[in-house]
Amino acid sequence: MTAANRPRLRRTGIGLALPAMLLLAIFFVVPVVSLLLRSVTEPDVGLQNYETLLATPTYAKIFWNTFMVASVVTTVTILLGYPVAWLLSILPARWAAIGFGIILLSMWTNLLARTYAWMVLLQSTGVINRSLQALGIIDEPLSLINNLTGVTIGMVYIMLPFFILPLQSTLRTIDPATLQAASLCGAGRWQAFWRVLLPLSVPGILSGGLIVFVMSLGYFVTPALLGGTSNMMLAELISQLVQSLLDWGLGGAAAFVLLVLTLALYAVQVHLFGTPGREA
Amino acid sequence: MLLSFNRMGGLRWVLVAIVVLVMLFLILPVMFIVALSFGSSQWLAFPPPGWTLRWYHEFFADPRWMAAIWTSTKIGILVMILSTTLGLFASFALVRGRFRGREILRAAFLTPMILPVVVFAVALYAFFLKIGLNGTLVGFVIAHTVLALPFAIIPISAALSGFDKSVEDAAILCGANPWEARLRVTFPAIRHGLFAAMVFSFLVSWDEVVIAIFMASPTLQTMPVRIWSSLRQDLSPVIAAASSLLILLTLALMLLAVLFRKKADR
Repeated sequence: MTAANRPRLRRTGIGLALPAMLLLAIFFVVPVVSLLLRSVTEPDVGLQNYETLLATPTYAKIFWNTFMVASVVTTVTILLGYPVAWLLSILPARWAAIGFGIILLSMWTNLLARTYAWMVLLQSTGVINRSLQALGIIDEPLSLINNLTGVTIGMVYIMLPFFILPLQSTLRTIDPATLQAASLCGAGRWQAFWRVLLPLSVPGILSGGLIVFVMSLGYFVTPALLGGTSNMMLAELISQLVQSLLDWGLGGAAAFVLLVLTLALYAVQVHLFGTPGREA
Repeated sequence: MLLSFNRMGGLRWVLVAIVVLVMLFLILPVMFIVALSFGSSQWLAFPPPGWTLRWYHEFFADPRWMAAIWTSTKIGILVMILSTTLGLFASFALVRGRFRGREILRAAFLTPMILPVVVFAVALYAFFLKIGLNGTLVGFVIAHTVLALPFAIIPISAALSGFDKSVEDAAILCGANPWEARLRVTFPAIRHGLFAAMVFSFLVSWDEVVIAIFMASPTLQTMPVRIWSSLRQDLSPVIAAASSLLILLTLALMLLAVLFRKKADR
C-alpha cells in the first residue's frame, strides 16, 4: 500500500471551528468591544460616564432596584422550586413525566405570550382582582402590576424551570441509602432533612440560584412590561439611554457594568460547579 | 426515607400539595390565554360571556400579522440551517480536536448564551447602524445565529462525545473517504443531537424579542416585535389569538421531539 492510497485517519484540528469563530469574532466580539470603547471615549476620553453612573441618585436607585428584584426573584424561585425538584426526583417515572411536560411546555411557550397572560391576569380589572372582590376578601382592587409584585410574579414564572430542571438532576444523584443510614442512626424526619438532605442539595441550590440571579440581573422584557416607571431595572435603563437619549457613552458604561457583573458571577459558577451545559 | 416516595409518611402529602400548586401556577396562565382567545369579550372578561372565533378571523385578516409570521418563519429556518451547520463543524473541533485552548474555545462559544441579551442587542444595533444591516433579513439572521449557536453546539457535542469514533474509523479503513464516513455513519448516529440543535435554534430565533425590537423596521417585523408593539398599545384579544397559535406551535414541536426520541430509542 503506497502512501497515496492509504486510508487517512487524520486528527481533527481547530480548522472546523473556524467558520463559527469568524461569525462570533465579527458579529459578537467586535460590536461588544466597540460599545465598551465608546463608554470611555464619548463624549470625551476618560471615565466621566462611569462617574455619572455612580454619582447620580437616579442611576444609583436603578442599580439598587436591579439587585433587589434579582434577589427577591431568586429567593422566591428557590422556595417554590425546591419542593418541586425534590418530588420530581423521587416520583415514579410516569408521574414525573407529567410534571416535566408541564414545566417544558411553560418554558417553551413564547415569552411574550406568557407575559401577556400575566398582564391580563394581574390588571386591576383582571381575574385575580375580580375573584378576590367577588369573594369579599378585598374591597378595592390590589395593584398587582407596574410594581415590584408584578415583576416578581412574572419573573419567578419564567425562572422556575431554569431552577427546577438542573436541581432535580442533582437530587437524583443523592444515594437514598444515606437517608436510610440517618434514620437508622435515630434521626427523625426533620433532622434527616436539615442535617442530611438539605446539606447534600446545597450545591444544586447554589448553582441553580446563581443562574436565576444572573439571568434576572439582565432581564429586559418582563420588567419592562410588568414593572412600573419607579422600579426600572438596568437592562431597560441601557435601552433607554441608547434609544431615547442617544447617549451611547453612558449607555455603553451601563452595559459594561452589567457585563462585568454577569461575567464575574459566571466565573464564580464555573469555579464552584464547572461549566454549565457540559453534560447537558 | 426522604428520598423514597412511599416511605415518606404524611410529609409526602404536604410536598404533593405544594407541587400541585406550583404546577397550576405554571400551567394555568397558558390555558387562560387559550380560553381568552375564544372568548367574546373585547375587554377580556373571564369567564367569557360567550365564545367566538372573531379574534382568529381578525388575526388572519390582518396583513401585518401575516407578514410578521412569514418574516419570523423565514428567519427561523435560515437560522436553523446556519446554526446547526456551524454548530456541527464547531462540535467536531471541540470534541475531537487536540489543540491548546480547547476549553477556552468551548467557553467562548457559550458566551452569547450567558451575556445579557440587552448588551449584545445594543452593541449589535450600533454596529449594524454603521454597516447598514438594521432592519434587513440578513441582519436578523446573523444576530439570531450568534444567539442560537450555543444551543446547537451543546446537544451536538454531547451526542458526538457519546459516539465511538472507532466506528467511523472502521468505515474509513473499509474504504470510505472521511466525509463519506461522517455523512453515512456518524451523522445518523448523532441524529438526535442534530435534531435537538435544529429545534432549539429555530425556537431561539422564533422567540427572540430584545434584539428584534432594536433592529426591526416598520417594513420588517418578526412575530415577537409585532406582539410587543401591540402590547404597548392595548391588551387586545387578537394578541391572545396570536399567543395561542404560538402555544400550538410549541406543543407541536414538543410532540415531534417526543415521537422522534421514541423512534430513535427503538
